[in-house]
Amino acid sequence: MNQKKIILVVEDSDEDFTAFTRIMQELESPHQITRVCDGDEVLDYLYNEGAYADLKTAPRPAIILMDLNLPGTDGRELIQQVKQDDNLKDIPIVAFTTSSNAKDIKACYSYGVNSYIVKPMGVALLRKTLRELLNYWLKYAILPSDMDLI
Amino acid sequence: MKLLEWNQEETVNLTNCDREPIHIPGSIQPHGILFVLSEPDLRIEQVSDTTTAILGITPQEMLGQPLETWMSPATMAKIKPALAMTGDFEQLNPLKVELQASENVLTFNGIVHRSPQDKIILELEPRTFSNENHFFQFYQLTKGILWQMQRATNLSELCSLIVKEVRKLTGFDRVMIYKFAPDGSGEVIAEEKPAEIESYLGLHYPDTDIPKQAKHLYCFNWLRLIPDVDYQPAPILIPSPEGTAVAETAVFSPSSLDLSYSVLRSVSSIHIQYLKNMGVGASMSISLQKEGKLWGLIACHHLTPRFVSYEIRTVCEFLGQVMSLDLTCKEERGNQEDKMRLKTLQTKFVDRLSGAENLLDALVATEADRVTLLELVNAEGAVVCVEGNLTSIGKTPKSADIRDLLVWLEDKFEQHLFVTDRLPHLYHQAAEFKEVASGLLALSIARVQQNYILWFRPEILQQVTWAGNPNKPKLLEEDGTVTLLPRQSFAQWQETVYQTSQTWQPWEIEGAVELRSAIVSILLRKAEELAAINQELERSNIELDAFAYIASHDLKEPLRGIHNYSTFLLEDYGNVLDAEGVDKLETLVRLTKRMEDLIESLLHFSRLGRQDLNWATINLNALVKNVMEVISMSKGKEVVEVRMPRPLPQVRGDLVMIEELLTNLIGNGLKYNNRAEKWVEIGYQDEIESLPPVNSNSEGHYWQTFYIRDNGIGIREKHLDSIFRIFKRLHGQNKYGGGTGAGLTIVKKIVERHGGKIRVESVYGEGSTFYFTLPVEK
Repeated sequence: MNQKKIILVVEDSDEDFTAFTRIMQELESPHQITRVCDGDEVLDYLYNEGAYADLKTAPRPAIILMDLNLPGTDGRELIQQVKQDDNLKDIPIVAFTTSSNAKDIKACYSYGVNSYIVKPMGVALLRKTLRELLNYWLKYAILPSDMDLI
Repeated sequence: MKLLEWNQEETVNLTNCDREPIHIPGSIQPHGILFVLSEPDLRIEQVSDTTTAILGITPQEMLGQPLETWMSPATMAKIKPALAMTGDFEQLNPLKVELQASENVLTFNGIVHRSPQDKIILELEPRTFSNENHFFQFYQLTKGILWQMQRATNLSELCSLIVKEVRKLTGFDRVMIYKFAPDGSGEVIAEEKPAEIESYLGLHYPDTDIPKQAKHLYCFNWLRLIPDVDYQPAPILIPSPEGTAVAETAVFSPSSLDLSYSVLRSVSSIHIQYLKNMGVGASMSISLQKEGKLWGLIACHHLTPRFVSYEIRTVCEFLGQVMSLDLTCKEERGNQEDKMRLKTLQTKFVDRLSGAENLLDALVATEADRVTLLELVNAEGAVVCVEGNLTSIGKTPKSADIRDLLVWLEDKFEQHLFVTDRLPHLYHQAAEFKEVASGLLALSIARVQQNYILWFRPEILQQVTWAGNPNKPKLLEEDGTVTLLPRQSFAQWQETVYQTSQTWQPWEIEGAVELRSAIVSILLRKAEELAAINQELERSNIELDAFAYIASHDLKEPLRGIHNYSTFLLEDYGNVLDAEGVDKLETLVRLTKRMEDLIESLLHFSRLGRQDLNWATINLNALVKNVMEVISMSKGKEVVEVRMPRPLPQVRGDLVMIEELLTNLIGNGLKYNNRAEKWVEIGYQDEIESLPPVNSNSEGHYWQTFYIRDNGIGIREKHLDSIFRIFKRLHGQNKYGGGTGAGLTIVKKIVERHGGKIRVESVYGEGSTFYFTLPVEK
């Protein structure tokens, strides 16, 4: 089950996104990476509003990788909103953030986040983290979106 | 009819003097005539049995006849308009009354009034005062006295003046001021008398000497006169059905004639006996009232019979009334100085208190404060109870006694106040410490917090000089009732009053109450300030949280970028750079890593200071074992030894924090150590300290001092003070395995969060010992 899947990356930092894509290339990931930069853009994408009104430009993602500290609507708020929406709540969300704050971790899980990963310091560690993250979520785990393809 | 017998038949065996109906005696004193007149035709309905002796006309002749049969038209002309007036005859009395006696025309002073039952009563008294113009006379007599009364500066001067002047006016041998105490007993506080007769000044008279209904009568009848104590009471007569005259009291009547306002009223035979026993021939008394209550009497005695004219009596009554009005003022003025002194003292004291950090402690902070606290209410001892802790000043009962007393007091406060000058009478245990605490003034400041102020006064063995034994006239009859008899003896009889302190004066009590309200208002203000500070603290805590977050996220994000990009640079362009270039880039990467470590340490430290402790009982022996396992893993093949001379006691604390404490201290001991055989010793000192607990979780626990000793490199003495400072390192970054320099700062914070203390002893080159205290279970 190594089909091409859509990963929605919510990341406001260009440098972090560059590091992310660089490593994804190294890992030869077959998946499509779509980036949005802030919370409001995420909502537009998921609800097909604004710039994403056309369903073709904004297909439903298999998984969302989300930074927490975002301009506009905050990451925590986003998780809460998406997880309360009956149409969207089955999309797995992985929080991928700098914050190791206990309050953030508890809050995100209580809102229904599917995983919480602290961005590691150092390229080697980042590479290892991302490899395992991709393997876990996109190779071994069966996602709700996989059902649509069968 | 034997008059004396008749008069006494009801009264002599009276079992309770207080029951004697003295306002309806049915008889008068025989020196005048009393008529009860019908309205409006002014016929004589009742007459005293004194007409035969004074006028030569029998009562039978007069009963039922119009008054004008004997009165001159001029007299009748005066009486009639008097009756038309609604009540107050005072401005008309006395009327000059001319009466046609059997032989000639006699002149009397006539006093007209209505009885409480609205009967018209006309009383005739001998006319001894010749001057017709009695207003002018009255003015002459009173003007000088009133002027002197105004000049009197205090009560005792006023009393001395009055007794002197009343004696001059009336010619009585002895004139006294008799003052009632709250218990009804009286004391002679001023006296004017000839040198040869015995002084009564300072003598006390028991409550029973003047029965209640007499005191009641004195409240509206301002002056009573008995010109001759040996008088034979003259009955008041009414017509009988047979046409003869009979005593008013001999006929059943639901409304006996009320003589409350009568000037001729016959007095109680008991009272007469009392006066006779004292050797008095004539007596007069004038009421002194303060704020509507009987305050005392101007009592006049003469050794032989003596009549005082109506005019002079009016002057005396007037003086009594003026003195009554002046009593409050004169009494006040006497206390004014004392009050002013207390007020000044109190103001200064409260001023000083309001600036104090801990108000109740400040009450007793300095010797001067302690003295002031006593002086405020003129007490000899005081106890300040703050949250159950007692501080004693001066002469007070023992702490254990105070605690018992406080329990007893609990429900005794009224308006936060309890006052007594006879504590042992109310609280029998107090008899044991009556010497210091017969008087108690207690303030409840905050009952919930157990904040009280108690003031004590010692027992005074008060000598009361009674006029005769005050307990003697009470005779217990065979049937168990108590009979009161007039006392025979008026010789000094001294009684010692036990278990009583000096009375707390109203202004002293007031001072205490004001002190309380001052303290409470200061406490409230402090509470408000505290609330404001708490709010501010909470706000700055939130800000600190925000700051910590900023530090953890916003600083680290660009740092990570620098790190990543440096790494990418090395990866992508490493081959085009020379060795030096590569080295510099590697340094850049290392520095960003170090920066991240510092940020992490700072965050950790700030979290330590704020996070709640998870209190638990901790087995230190097991914990040390765990810590050693972790440390040993990182040490590889190195020889490290942990010495534990004896098992460690259980401590109370946060497990995660205590583990970090041990990890850091043991780790340091082994890390800063150059020896081949490294060891760390963990133990504790035997003595335990019972320090006040820092919070409810460590309550009931003791502080034990633990130590962790190593054979490491030691610390130079000059660095001992700075080793606990955050990021302070004593060695280069690359020596002894590096580190951020936050370890000991964190250790110190952990100990302090548990309420303990930490210190270090070290011999440079030989090793260091860290001592720290932690709460242990008893």
